[in-house]
Amino acid sequence: MTCQRCQDEAVVHLTELVDGRRKETHLCVACARASGLSLPDAPPDFGLDAVLQDLIKKHVGELVGELAESTCPDCRLRYMDFRTGGRLGCPHDYQVFRKGLLPMLQRFHGATRHVGKRARARPGASLRLRLRSQLRQAVAREDYEEAARLRDQIRLKDQHA
Amino acid sequence: MTLDDLTRTSGEWLRGAGPESDIVMCSRIRLARNLADFPFTNRASRNEKAGIESQVKSAVDAAGLDVAYFDVNGMNNLDRQFLVERQIISRELAGGEGPRGVAVTPKENISIMVNEEDHLRIQYMLSGFRLNEVWDEITALDDQLEDDIAYAYSSSLGYLTACPTNVGTGIRVGVMLHLPGIVANKQIDKVFRALQKINLAVRGLYGEGSQAFGDFYQISNQQTLGKSEEEIIKILTDVVPQVLQFERSARQDLVTGRRQHLHDQVSRAYGVLKTAQTISSEETMLLLSSVRMGINLGLIDDLSISTVNELFIQTQPAFLQKLRGSELGVEERNVARASYLRSRLANGRAVEDE
Ligand SMILES: [Zn+2]
Ligand SMILES: [Zn+2]
Repeated sequence: MTCQRCQDEAVVHLTELVDGRRKETHLCVACARASGLSLPDAPPDFGLDAVLQDLIKKHVGELVGELAESTCPDCRLRYMDFRTGGRLGCPHDYQVFRKGLLPMLQRFHGATRHVGKRARARPGASLRLRLRSQLRQAVAREDYEEAARLRDQIRLKDQHA
Repeated sequence: MTLDDLTRTSGEWLRGAGPESDIVMCSRIRLARNLADFPFTNRASRNEKAGIESQVKSAVDAAGLDVAYFDVNGMNNLDRQFLVERQIISRELAGGEGPRGVAVTPKENISIMVNEEDHLRIQYMLSGFRLNEVWDEITALDDQLEDDIAYAYSSSLGYLTACPTNVGTGIRVGVMLHLPGIVANKQIDKVFRALQKINLAVRGLYGEGSQAFGDFYQISNQQTLGKSEEEIIKILTDVVPQVLQFERSARQDLVTGRRQHLHDQVSRAYGVLKTAQTISSEETMLLLSSVRMGINLGLIDDLSISTVNELFIQTQPAFLQKLRGSELGVEERNVARASYLRSRLANGRAVEDE
């Protein structure tokens, strides 16, 4: 079943009575959220991973392996998590999952390029996010000297915020 | 300003003023923004959410706005519900967790939600059909906040948001319409379908989920990428007048075709609201809707539109309970609602107030 708004895979199926007639609605997670429907936080568990893999395979074809395994180094969101929950974890995810996102943006918005208001250029604006993931990596490899240095740098940045 | 102060005032957007205010309740624009330095709210730790909150609060302070900040995290459920009823916060913010809150002006035309789905949800609302004016105000406010906040932004994808359905401009442009005529002549589904074809969303204004109460509907854009803010606003300013025309001719048909029936319906609705001893929220909405249309068609002349607009908000459960200063069960609320309606409509503000 495909979403009636964007041809994505529909996961929300509604039946309502309008003027005595049955009205069926089929939507993907993104379109259901966009139309103001509140979705349960945890999706029902019926071997979802397998189902999802199947959906993604149909959806992004060749990219599956590479995309399905990709994880954002900064917020550690997996592409799979995004496909399940419909939410990204941090600004860098737009870069990390670009290949999967662009077709989705094209379907939903009919475009993949921003026109309109521009934000002020701020080089290094997302530095803190990078430092944070470096800190996590340093702790993971037990390089506590480096971890301490990064922690101080983050603290310094927080104080200047 | 405290939460209790809000029980004694009402928002500018309920004034029933501005162009086309017989049908257009208010114009609203929302901008979704995120800080470049942090994960989005759903991936942020408690500490990070607190960091986001303090950065936004200081940017709001620096902007010199006359706002009160309400800490939604430390708030009881009744107060959260009260803010939802007033359209100051979303259900999502009310039901979220961790550090979060909202900055709101005394007139309630500006609200800035912090740590909702996006770090900032900046909202600007004015009564009547005034989208261009709302845009001028909100983009200026956005610029001011940007003096102190580095937004998550990419030159190709625009403002980066937690959900890809908001990326680009991050803008949601909405107009709240009172459409009792189109509902009465059963053309509302047709209008919905026509609007959906041009990628506009329609949803009910009050009540649970997407169900409409009191014949209020919000029309808003869905797509946020690939068109400028002005282009998106233009779609709404082109389309809404057609809906208004449709509603006006539906109302005219009611007046010419079934004048006596209509007058009877409006008068009975007004009568019930003025005399009921117990009344549900749903019935109140339906009757207020009839009365509101009756005023616009000149069938009622001793009541102002702004009073009716306020009553839509002030007969909701949390408002009644805050007014009483205690929690009330459904039956007690129905009695309190009827009593409040009787007192407001007995010495309700007369038409000359407007
Ligand atoms: Zn969809
Ligand atoms: Zn990320």
